[in-house]
Amino acid sequence: MDWPALTVSLTLAALTTLVLLPLGLALARWLAVTAWGGRAFIEALLLLPLLLPPTVIGFYFLVAFGQGSPLGAWLAASGWRLVFSLEGLLLVSVLVNLPFMVQPIQRAFAAVPHSLREAAWVSGLSGWQTFWRIELPLAWPGLLAGMALTVAHTLGEFGVVLMVGGNIEGETRTLSVSLYDKVQGMDLQSAHVMALALVGVSLLALSLVLAFDRVGQRGRALQER
Amino acid sequence: MSGLQVRLRSASPIRLEAEFDCGAGELVALVGPSGSGKTSMLRAMAGLWTPADLQGHIRVAGQDWLNTASGVQLSPQQRRAGLVFQHYALFPHMSAQANVALAAGPGWTAADVQALLVRLGLGVLSQRRPAQLSGGQQQRVALARALVRVMPTPQTTSAAPGATTWPGVLLLDEPFSAVDAPTRQALYRELAALRQNVSVPMVLVTHDLSEARRLADRVVIVDAGHTLQTGQPARVFASPRNARVAELVGIQNHFAGCFFKDQPGWGRLRWTDPAQPAQCIDLTVVDKNKIGDGTPVTWVLNGEQVDVLADGAPLPVAGQGRTRLRCCLAEVLSLGEISLCTLTPETLPGQTITLNLTTRLLARLQVGAGGWIQLLIAPGALHIMPVREAAA
Repeated sequence: MDWPALTVSLTLAALTTLVLLPLGLALARWLAVTAWGGRAFIEALLLLPLLLPPTVIGFYFLVAFGQGSPLGAWLAASGWRLVFSLEGLLLVSVLVNLPFMVQPIQRAFAAVPHSLREAAWVSGLSGWQTFWRIELPLAWPGLLAGMALTVAHTLGEFGVVLMVGGNIEGETRTLSVSLYDKVQGMDLQSAHVMALALVGVSLLALSLVLAFDRVGQRGRALQER
Repeated sequence: MSGLQVRLRSASPIRLEAEFDCGAGELVALVGPSGSGKTSMLRAMAGLWTPADLQGHIRVAGQDWLNTASGVQLSPQQRRAGLVFQHYALFPHMSAQANVALAAGPGWTAADVQALLVRLGLGVLSQRRPAQLSGGQQQRVALARALVRVMPTPQTTSAAPGATTWPGVLLLDEPFSAVDAPTRQALYRELAALRQNVSVPMVLVTHDLSEARRLADRVVIVDAGHTLQTGQPARVFASPRNARVAELVGIQNHFAGCFFKDQPGWGRLRWTDPAQPAQCIDLTVVDKNKIGDGTPVTWVLNGEQVDVLADGAPLPVAGQGRTRLRCCLAEVLSLGEISLCTLTPETLPGQTITLNLTTRLLARLQVGAGGWIQLLIAPGALHIMPVREAAA
């Protein structure tokens, strides 16, 4: 088992989830209730990482933040290096995980009947109070599902990690990249251990997602009664 | 002015022209078919429906909730509107107690909320969530949640009893449509009992005429966004202002005709069958000088004021001014003590009159389906309305 790689993977997953949660929450809530005409375009943009090969995202990331680009040069001058660093990996990880975080939360907020918001307003609750006391408690299964999916997907990410992060031990070498290394080096014993660990974590995360989804459905069924 | 005053007008998205008042402690029912705009009116009062071109004012106890002339528009939070939603819209993740407490103002303690729930028969159920309650129980929680918005805060009451009337309005959006009939009857009684203690204007939206008749002090007939007629239920049902109102309140025996002036104080109502313009019946009516000579009218026959005689029986002495009409009993549907009878006049066989006659009377006259009887129609049994002008 490559312990430093596991640490990098877990750190990346935790940070990605932490950064993405408020961002995804705001985006998802807005998408769930907005009547703005450009909503479909934003939704398509958010789903794009699901369809694009990770290499495309990695390529554009390198183009945007590499030493050759003005942005990359400016960042380098101010002491930031996004290419081949954990920070860069985090940034790209947040981008590719957007659909995994936003989708379940958006569905959860959209499932809250509008009449409940109105009932809250008529009862004297402000928009914020309605969000915190009515909408969020009803949408929490969606939040948990989004977090579980983000963790699982971050642990399994490979192509974009290799392109953006490279393969620096203790910094950007994640479990999936390390697994690739071990297979290349014919160390199948270690490969087996890591592959099994990834399967286990992903299975656990998916089970959680489905369990939360069921809780969410039950909640919706109650509201419709 | 302690009541509610509503004057609203909008052109889109819904054409609306609403005008009605509701006194403190009074219950006014907005009655109309679905899509008539009655729910939009209610939502406008709560501040939930605010189209850009809405004009007019909503005034509660002298305070403007909406006044487009002076640019006043209170938010739903600022209005003291207790709204019972059609499907209750209870917060599913909260107990009954928490649902009500959420809407209660700062003067309410948990014990006050519990006392209200006890009064509504929800005492032992207060810690249950909506999904664990029956439809009728959920409805009562929704009612309690609306009531805490409009009732005086308990502490104020004890400090100065009756001194402060809270400028609130209780709004009920089809509150009884989703419960079964026995539960509905129980809820009707509870609402009636509750009214003794609540002295705010109450507006009920319903499409159920009998419900409006039973619960409301006054009804407002709503159609296509317009408030057509306002009045006590018995009055509106007995004398609808025009043919559309008559149709909406489900009046039977509703016919077309033409009004002619006769001797001073008297008129003739010429009843015609549009399918056979050659035939007609003239009925004697009172001329109230409201309708011009030769005006096309629609009219209603109030079956409760019609006397029935055996065929061939002589006209009673007191029969002055009454029109005698020989009719065939086309159909008799016995409903126990009452028989629902369909009659066709001899001279206008294309028209039908529906009357509820006692089964005993039919037995006494020894007449059944296919037989003949005479109707004696007093002028007072005829209500004449001008044909409604095309909607403005």
